[in-house]
Amino acid sequence: MTGPSVATGDAVGRGDGTVFDIGYQRYDGPREGRGRARLAVFKDGVRMALGWGRGGRAKILPWSFIGVMVLIGFILALVAGAALLFGGPDAVEQIPSHSDFYGITSIFILVFAAVVAPELLCPDRRNGVINLYLVRPLTGSDYILARWVAFLVVSLIVAWLPQFVLLIGRVMGNPDPAAYLRDNWLDLPRILAAGAAIALFTTTLAMLVAAFASRRAYAAVFLVGLFAVTAPFTAALSAEVEGTVGQWIGLFTLSNIPVHVNDIIFGEVSEVTGSSPTSELSATILVSWYLLWVVVPGVILWARYRKLTP
Amino acid sequence: MTRAVDMPHPTPVAAAPSRGEPIVAARDLVKRYGDVVALDGVSFGIYDGITGILGENGAGKSTAIKIFLGLLEPTSGTAIVLGEDASTNVEVRGKLGYMPEHDCLPTTVTAAEFLTHMAEVTGLPPLRARTRAADTLRHVGLFEERYRAIGGYSTGMKQRVKLAQALVHDPRMVFLDEPTAGLDPAGREEMLDLVRKTHREFGISILFSSHLMSDVERTCDRIVVLQGGALVQAGEVSDLTSETESVFIEVDANQDALLTELEARGVEATVAAGGIHVENADAAAYDRIRDAIVAAEAPLRRLAPQRRALTELFTPEDPPMATEVAS
Repeated sequence: MTGPSVATGDAVGRGDGTVFDIGYQRYDGPREGRGRARLAVFKDGVRMALGWGRGGRAKILPWSFIGVMVLIGFILALVAGAALLFGGPDAVEQIPSHSDFYGITSIFILVFAAVVAPELLCPDRRNGVINLYLVRPLTGSDYILARWVAFLVVSLIVAWLPQFVLLIGRVMGNPDPAAYLRDNWLDLPRILAAGAAIALFTTTLAMLVAAFASRRAYAAVFLVGLFAVTAPFTAALSAEVEGTVGQWIGLFTLSNIPVHVNDIIFGEVSEVTGSSPTSELSATILVSWYLLWVVVPGVILWARYRKLTP
Repeated sequence: MTRAVDMPHPTPVAAAPSRGEPIVAARDLVKRYGDVVALDGVSFGIYDGITGILGENGAGKSTAIKIFLGLLEPTSGTAIVLGEDASTNVEVRGKLGYMPEHDCLPTTVTAAEFLTHMAEVTGLPPLRARTRAADTLRHVGLFEERYRAIGGYSTGMKQRVKLAQALVHDPRMVFLDEPTAGLDPAGREEMLDLVRKTHREFGISILFSSHLMSDVERTCDRIVVLQGGALVQAGEVSDLTSETESVFIEVDANQDALLTELEARGVEATVAAGGIHVENADAAAYDRIRDAIVAAEAPLRRLAPQRRALTELFTPEDPPMATEVAS
C-alpha cells in the first residue's frame, strides 16, 4: 500500500489545498474505562431495539408495535371523548381507561418483547461479537446489565407512551382539563408504576429466553408460544377445577402476572383479569409471584453471562 | 502548479526490537478441560516486537491467547500482560487488542459504525471514537468502503475489519489469532504486510498465532512453538535459523578434491543438489572453506550461505506439524 498523494511545496502560498499524510497517530486522549464501555453497550442496545442506524427492515417491527400501542391509546381517548360528549360522565365510566389499558395491551407488549429483545443478544453470540466485547474493559455482568437496562428503557417507552397519549387525550377531551387533572392526578404515578411493572416482567423474561436461543426467531417463537399456550390452557383448567386450586392454577397464565400487579396499583380489577379467579388471591401472593418471575429469570440471565468471563 | 507525489511511509516507530522486560509472561501455565490438557505447564516471555506463537491445531495457541486476554481462567499458573492479570484487572484490557480466528463481525452495520462502537466500548469518548474509527479504517485500506454494511464485504475485507477493531483504540499490544486464516495467497500477503506495518509504523507489539511456519518466519522477530500444550521452542527467529546456517559450494571441477580438502580441515560436507553443502557454518568455517578451495584448485562457480527455513527446523522432530505445513 502506498501512501496517499500529497502536494509539494509548490502549492504553498498560492491558496491551493494541501493534504498531508501525517501517518499513524498514537491516541493520547481520555480513556473512560468501564463506565464508558457500559454506556456504549447500553446505547447500542437501545439503537438495536429501535432499529436506529440499521436499514428500514430493522425499524419495521419495533415501530409497528409502538404505533399499534399508541393507536390503541389514541382510540381509547377518542372514544372517551365521544362518550363524554354524547353520553355524559356516566358513559365515560364504562369506557376502558388507564387501569384497563395494560390488561388489554399486555399481549402486545409481551409479543413486542419476545420479538425485539432477542435482537440485543442473539446476533452478538451468533456472530461472535460477544468475544470482542469481553476482551475490552467490560465483564459479562456489565454486558448483560447494559443490554437489560437498554431493553428495559425501550419497554418503558412502549408501555408508557400510549398511556400518556390516553392521558393527554382524556385531559384535552374534558371540558375542564384542570379539574380533570386535579381529580385524577394519581393516575400519573399509577401509570408509571404499572408500566414499570409490565416492562420489568417482559424485559427479564424475554432477555432470559434470548440468552439461551441461538437465533432471534427461535426465541420469539418460543416466548410467544409460551404465552399463547399457557393463557387458554390455564384459564380453562382454573375454571374447571374452581376453588383455591383453580386460583393457583390461574397464576400460570403468564400474560396476566403483571396485570394482577397493575390491578393492585390501580386498586381495581381490570376487564381481562376480572374473569380470572386468581384475582381473588391476596395482593401479597400476587406481588410475590410477580417478583419471583422477575427475580429468578433475572438471576439466571445474569449467571448465564457472568460465567462468560472468569 | 501542484504536483502530487507518493508519500513515503513514516519513520518506523519501533523498527529495532529491543528485549528488556517481557510485556507478556506465562509462568507454569496449565489449562485442563476435563481430561484434556490444553496447556501443560508452559512458561515463556513475550517482548516488544512481533512474536509468533506457532503450533498445529490443538497445540494450545488460542487457549494461551484467551488466558492472556482474561477470557479463560488457567487451571494453575499465572498469565501476566503489561504487568497485570487481565482476568482480574478489567481496565488493562483497554490497552490490549484482539483479533479472533473465527467470525466476530456483525453483518448489518457499516464498518465505520462498528469501529466507532468498539472504540467507545474500549473507553474512548464518542467524538474521539469516530475519528479513530475513520483513521484506523484508512490505515487498513478500507477508508473508501467504510460506509458499506460489513455483511457485503469479501473475506479479505472482513479480516481487515477484524484487525481494525483490534487497533481502533490504539492498544499497546494486539493478539492476532490466525490472521491469515481463509485468505487467498494475495490476501495473505496483504495481511502479513499489515501485521508488519502495525508494529513497525504504529509501534504496537504483536502476538501472532499461526500454524503456518512460513507466515511466522517472514513476519515475526521471535517465536514460541507449542505442541500438544507443551513448549517446544522459544527464541529469536534469526537465532533459530542462524544456528542451522549452511553454505552451498558449486565448483566447475575438482569437486572430489575439494571434499577431501574440506575433510582434512575438519569441515563436514555433503554432496547434494549438484554441489557441496556445509552444515552449521560459522565465521571460522568460511576461512577453512576458502583455504580448501585454493588447495583443491577447484574453479569456484558459487559459494552462498543458505539459512534453513523454520519448516526444516522443526520437521524431523515434529512429524504432525510437518503434516500440517505440507497440507
